[in-house]
Amino acid sequence: MGPWFVRAPLLLLSMLGLISGAWLRAPAVWLSLAVLVAVRVFVEWPLPDNHIYLLAYWCLGVAMALRFADPASQLARTSRLLLGLVFAFAVLWKAALSPDYRDGRFFAVTLLTDDRFSDVVQLIGGLTDAQLRENREYLTPLPEGAELLAPPVLHAPPRFRLLVLVATWGTLAIEALAAGLWLAPLTRRLLVARHAVILLFCLTTYAFAPVAGFGWLVIVLALVTCLPDDRLLRALYIATYAMVLLYSEVPWASLALSGLG
Amino acid sequence: MRERSWAALPAVVLAVVAATQIVMTEVQMLSPWKGGGFGMFSTLDERPFRYVRMFVRAPERSEELAVPPSLEDLAASAEILPSDRQLERLARAVVAREHRRGQPADQVRIDVWRVEFAPGSLAPRDHLLRRYEFRAAP
Repeated sequence: MGPWFVRAPLLLLSMLGLISGAWLRAPAVWLSLAVLVAVRVFVEWPLPDNHIYLLAYWCLGVAMALRFADPASQLARTSRLLLGLVFAFAVLWKAALSPDYRDGRFFAVTLLTDDRFSDVVQLIGGLTDAQLRENREYLTPLPEGAELLAPPVLHAPPRFRLLVLVATWGTLAIEALAAGLWLAPLTRRLLVARHAVILLFCLTTYAFAPVAGFGWLVIVLALVTCLPDDRLLRALYIATYAMVLLYSEVPWASLALSGLG
Repeated sequence: MRERSWAALPAVVLAVVAATQIVMTEVQMLSPWKGGGFGMFSTLDERPFRYVRMFVRAPERSEELAVPPSLEDLAASAEILPSDRQLERLARAVVAREHRRGQPADQVRIDVWRVEFAPGSLAPRDHLLRRYEFRAAP
C-alpha cells in the first residue's frame, strides 16, 4: 500500500468510510483516495502493478459519480468503460505487441520457471519434480562461450504442451470476448453474457494466476454494473469474490498433488 | 459537461496512460508488465528475465557486486525501466553504500541484461539491453 504517508491516510479514510455512511458517500473522501493511490504510483514508479493504476481510476470514478443525482448508473458507466479498456489493452499486448505470447513461449517458460506454478505444472502438465528441475536448468542461460559436457534436455510431454496451448489461447479468447462485450453497447439479453464472461474469467484465471488483488477489483467493477433486481448475479459475484480468496489462501494444486501421490 | 462525459473521464485517463506506456516500452525499454498499460502476463520481457550486473571500480579495486537487500527496489526499478534516471539513482546508491562501508568506489558500471528464449526450442540466450557508466564526483 505504499510508503507510510500514503498508507496511513489511506487506511484512515477507508476505516471512516466503513463506519460512516456519510463519509462513504462523500466525493471528497473518494477523491482523496484517488489522489493517495496516484501518489503511490508516482512515488514508487515504475514498480507498481497495473491494478494499482486501476484502483486510482476507480476511486476517481466513484468521486465523480457521487456528485450526480444517480450515482449508481453513473458509476456503472464508468466501470463498464474501465473494464472494457483493461481487457482491450491486455488483448492488444497479447495478440499484437508480444510475439513471445502468440507462439506459446510466454506460458511455456513461465509455467516451468515460476515456483508459484510448479504444483499446477506437475498436476495438469504431467511433469515430474525431477523433469521440472531439469527444465529449469535448461532454461538458465550459460555464461557466454560456456558449454556443458552433458547439457540438460527440455521435457515437454503432450499434456504440458496442451496446458500451454489452452493457457495461451484460452486466456486470449476470454479476454478478447470480455473486451468486446464490455465496450459494445448491448441489449439486456446480452448483458448476461457480459457478466458470464467476467465470472468465467475470474473462476478460471485466478485458480492459477497469483494476483488475487486484480481479480477482486475486476469483480467489484463488474458488480456495480448489476441492476438493483439482479439479485442472483450479485450473489454470484460475491461467491466468486470468496472463491478468488480461497484460491489465494488454499494451496489446492499442492493438496491435490499430494492426494494423488 | 454532460453526465456521460464525466463518467468517461477515468477511462480516458486509463487510455492515455496505457498509450503512453506503449510508447515508453519502445522508446525507453520499459517492461510491458509495468507502467499502467496492462501488458502483464503477455511477455517474458520482465523480471527475473531482466537483471542487472553492477561493477565497481577504484584505484586497486575492480569487482562485481551482488545486489544487496537495501538496493533491491532501486535495482528492480532499473531492470523494469533502464533509463538514465533510474540507472543513475542506482549507481549513486551503490557509491553511497560503498563509502558507508569504508570501501572506495570511483566508478560504477551497470549492465542491464535480458534473457531471451528461442521460439520452439526455448534455448536461452543473454542479451545486453543497456550499459551505463557512472563516475562519482571526487
